[in-house]
Amino acid sequence: MMAIRELKVCLLGDTGVGKSSIVCRFVQDHFDHNISPTIGASFMTKTVPCGNELHKFLIWDTAGQERFHSLAPMYYRGSAAAVIVYDITKQDSFHTLKKWVKELKEHGPENIVMAIAGNKCDLSDIREVPLKDAKEYAESIGAVVVETSAKNAINIEELFQGISRQIPPLDPHENGNSGAIKLGKPATQASRRCC
Amino acid sequence: MEGLWWEINGTVLLTEKDLGRTVVESRACSRVSQGEMSAWTMGARSLDKRGSFFKLIDTIVSELGELKQEMVQTDVSLENGLEPNEAHSMVRHKDDGFSEEKDVKTYPRDSGYDSLSNRLSILDRLLHTHPIWLQLSLSEEEAAEVLQSQPPGIFLVRKSTKMQKKVLSLRLPCELGAPLKEFAIKESTYTFSLEGSGISFADLFRLIAFYCISRDVLPFTLKLPYAISTAKTEARLEELAQLGLNFWSSPADNKPPNPPPPHRPLSSDGVCPASRQLCLINGVHSIKTRTPSELECSQTNGALCFINPLFLKVHSQDLGGGLKRPCTRTPNANGTERPRSPPPRPPPPAINSVHTSPQLSRTETQASMPETVNHNKHGNVAQLGTKPTPIPPPRLKKQASFLEAEGSAKTLPGGRPYPGRELQPEAPGPGTAGRPGGAPPAEAPGDCTRAAGPEPRAPWRGGRQRLSDMSISTSSSDSLEFDRSMPLFGYEADTNSSLEDCEEESDQETMAPPIKSKKKRNSSFVLPKLVKSQLRKMSGVFSSFLTPEKRMVRRIAELSRDKCTYFGCLVQDYVSFLQENKECHVSSTDMLQTIRQFMTQVKNYLAQSSELDPPIESLIPEDQIDVVLEKAMHKCILKPLKGHVEAMLRDFHMADGSWKQLKENLQLVRQRNPQELGVFAPTPDIVDVEKIKVKFMTMQKMYSPEKKVMLLLRVCKLIYTVMENNSGRMYGADDFLPVLTYVIAQCDMLELDTEIEYMMELLDPSLLHGEGGYYLTSAYGALSLIKNFQEEQAARLLSSETRDTLRQWHKRRTTNRTIPSVDDFQNYLRVAFQEVNSGCTGKTLLVRPYVTTEDVCQLCAEKFKVGDPEEYSLFLFVDETWQQLAEDTYPQKIKAELHSRPQPHIFHFVYKRVKNDPYGVIFQNGEEDLTTS
Repeated sequence: MMAIRELKVCLLGDTGVGKSSIVCRFVQDHFDHNISPTIGASFMTKTVPCGNELHKFLIWDTAGQERFHSLAPMYYRGSAAAVIVYDITKQDSFHTLKKWVKELKEHGPENIVMAIAGNKCDLSDIREVPLKDAKEYAESIGAVVVETSAKNAINIEELFQGISRQIPPLDPHENGNSGAIKLGKPATQASRRCC
Repeated sequence: MEGLWWEINGTVLLTEKDLGRTVVESRACSRVSQGEMSAWTMGARSLDKRGSFFKLIDTIVSELGELKQEMVQTDVSLENGLEPNEAHSMVRHKDDGFSEEKDVKTYPRDSGYDSLSNRLSILDRLLHTHPIWLQLSLSEEEAAEVLQSQPPGIFLVRKSTKMQKKVLSLRLPCELGAPLKEFAIKESTYTFSLEGSGISFADLFRLIAFYCISRDVLPFTLKLPYAISTAKTEARLEELAQLGLNFWSSPADNKPPNPPPPHRPLSSDGVCPASRQLCLINGVHSIKTRTPSELECSQTNGALCFINPLFLKVHSQDLGGGLKRPCTRTPNANGTERPRSPPPRPPPPAINSVHTSPQLSRTETQASMPETVNHNKHGNVAQLGTKPTPIPPPRLKKQASFLEAEGSAKTLPGGRPYPGRELQPEAPGPGTAGRPGGAPPAEAPGDCTRAAGPEPRAPWRGGRQRLSDMSISTSSSDSLEFDRSMPLFGYEADTNSSLEDCEEESDQETMAPPIKSKKKRNSSFVLPKLVKSQLRKMSGVFSSFLTPEKRMVRRIAELSRDKCTYFGCLVQDYVSFLQENKECHVSSTDMLQTIRQFMTQVKNYLAQSSELDPPIESLIPEDQIDVVLEKAMHKCILKPLKGHVEAMLRDFHMADGSWKQLKENLQLVRQRNPQELGVFAPTPDIVDVEKIKVKFMTMQKMYSPEKKVMLLLRVCKLIYTVMENNSGRMYGADDFLPVLTYVIAQCDMLELDTEIEYMMELLDPSLLHGEGGYYLTSAYGALSLIKNFQEEQAARLLSSETRDTLRQWHKRRTTNRTIPSVDDFQNYLRVAFQEVNSGCTGKTLLVRPYVTTEDVCQLCAEKFKVGDPEEYSLFLFVDETWQQLAEDTYPQKIKAELHSRPQPHIFHFVYKRVKNDPYGVIFQNGEEDLTTS
């Protein structure tokens, strides 16, 4: 039997960019009836195989409105990965994304895997953020990047597969279940953005 | 019959309380009428229907009477001295003629081997001797070495490092080639089973006991070492157990060529021994297997659930026509009205019948006439004294030490049979709720208790297997213990007396007068040791009815009250220390974190401690051990502390003003309409809000943080339901968090603040990443938003303050409060004043978070009495560099930011002259941070 690793993943990004749509799409496609569904879409889980491990994503959605910004550290604390979502039709949302990246770099968990999702790629005719920009930026910060469409189920799986690949395999000496979750790294706690 | 089973995911879980014993008593057990069993089964299946449960109980109670009669019959020699001459006689058994002849006192006890060994079931033997056969740390080689010299069938249980599983190492007969074979033991979340077998067991002991009787997937049944299977007393078993692994090489482990013949002492009534013949299976004298026919019966009747077809097959040959029980119901000889099936076996000695019958009638009428019953019992008491002591069940023995004190304390003083002490705390909200799962067995006890438990007459001492016992015991173990102890009176010496069978024990119910006898005892006797062990036994009976998890939790809770154990001391001392020293914590967080830390440490201690006996690994599947220990911690630490903690939290919040702040802001927020709070989804109406409030109020009654979180999840679920409003739309955090904030404000419950804090700090940290952790975080966030609502509107800055608070929270959770508390920097600013001539002085200023540098400079000028303030300014000295702060910056913000950096920075706010800075660096590295007060 494969070991299950629980990976906390937080979702960041402006309100309205489709954070929860991405997760809903991810979780609900190939819905696994064995897993008891969560009570709502703000917190969802999905288990996917990766190598000889099973990755169970515990996906923490965050509220993207500025007024809730101050709560974000509680949500990304202890995350193994962050999915930062922007809307390719809104330049502003890409700007917000950069702020999130900066905050995570400064105050997020050490070695957090960052994945950038340019959502709504089905609307590329009104695109404001060129794919090239996103790719360059992602490269500069060592993040996974894909353009997705939650609506058309494009690249959703790939997004999470990309994350899985970036998660370092378990240290065999470590205990299976908690290995990926870095609890209590002091460095991960702080949240401070310029206001 | 005591066996309660339920199906989990298609596997059958055997929860025989005492497998061995049940088997031994198969005769009696098999007598259980269909009515009872089916009622029981129904009860188990529809627990939520209280009504059916009561019905079940009634049935059980009445059936119990029948059973007793039967059992009496099977008993070779019994305590008839006790025979009640009371009014019960009306219920006399047909056989009572016999009883008169056999007075215990005059009639020499049957010293037969048979009854003695019968008394100790296989399960008892296993429980007692686990230090011998349960060798988790043994290597394969060592196990092979031990088993090498043993006859086939002898076994060990060890943990295979290769498989990372427990394995059953079985000695094979030489002709099979390999000397031993290992069978992996599969541990699921709830059960233990042998790999490849469909039969699951609640714990390891039951598994082994079963395989002593049935081979199932094994090549043959397991055998207990001769010395163990023939030991006549618990004391002997204990002696053997002392040897531990050395048993195998010691002379104690003798292997007589032939097991003694299963001879049955002559019974005056000429009972046919057929029923006992089965007990020789496997050479274990005390066990009788049921024949397949019985098993079949049990399936319908629910007596036992050996549903494995293999089992049935294997034993099908054993089927003797005589063993099949007729199912016809016949009226009781003594005129009991109830229809019952005749005893499967030949009629027993009639001796006991007399007592039994009274009991029977009593039981039946139990609910309606408790008082009378008591009287009767009382009458019996004296007689009881002459009774031989039933041997305490081994499994409890070890617990004796801790139970003793308690047991005796409880028993003695109370005139009341059922103290309800245990009961009471549990029954109301927190207790019950605190129970995990709410699995069928859990519920059962509660209901049963209500129906049957309180009756004083319930001196059901014997029936380990009796359903009725279980029901009683579960909730009011105290009362049981009490009753239990009654019969012990004259018996100390009689460990060796053959009289007690398990059946006999059950009989005692009949006679034991609960209430009065207690008093009597109290005044005149010191509890003899046996009594104590009896007590233990009783509680064991109860607890064995529970799931292993609950049993373990209960056991740990008992242990925690026993100051004779290290664990008990730890817990008791800590609890009373906290209660008596209100000043020992500087903040609510500090207090809660200390408690959490203590729980974690004690958990670690318990996981390795030998004070838990049998070891927790033998009862609880490994992946559940931590869960079970956590629950136990809640019960033995949080439960007694709940009131204190709540009061302290309130005090802290009153003192620091956060209570008031929340209160004021709650009012503000409540006046806003949902849109102003960022809500753009349907919101709960008044009715829903009321429902939510009820849930929150229930939450307040719980002591277990996990149970509280469960309720929080239910609240959130309800909110989602309202939001989705059948639209099918899924709402993420963008929508949910504002609605949650709105709902929490609408509930207008200040207590939620402490509730959330309690949960966040005390919840098992491993759960914080899951769904519970998520919604807890959201609720905490929502409350933070409310608390800072006013400021939020005034300045964005405040949100940064919230953030600081949150950050502090995280930090404190994970690092052990090396960090200053929020208060340290929220309202105070420490500023150093540097003068050319006078060196450096520092002052702590009261500075609101949104005060600008300009204001701080003014304040400094006043405080430091600077004549020419325009010459001075506020500087930040950090990382060995000086920065002059602009007038419109916010020193508190800056400070918060510095604090929030991952690496601690040493920094100082210094008020000094703008020009000529002759000293440059004025602080030495590593100097105390002046800026934090």
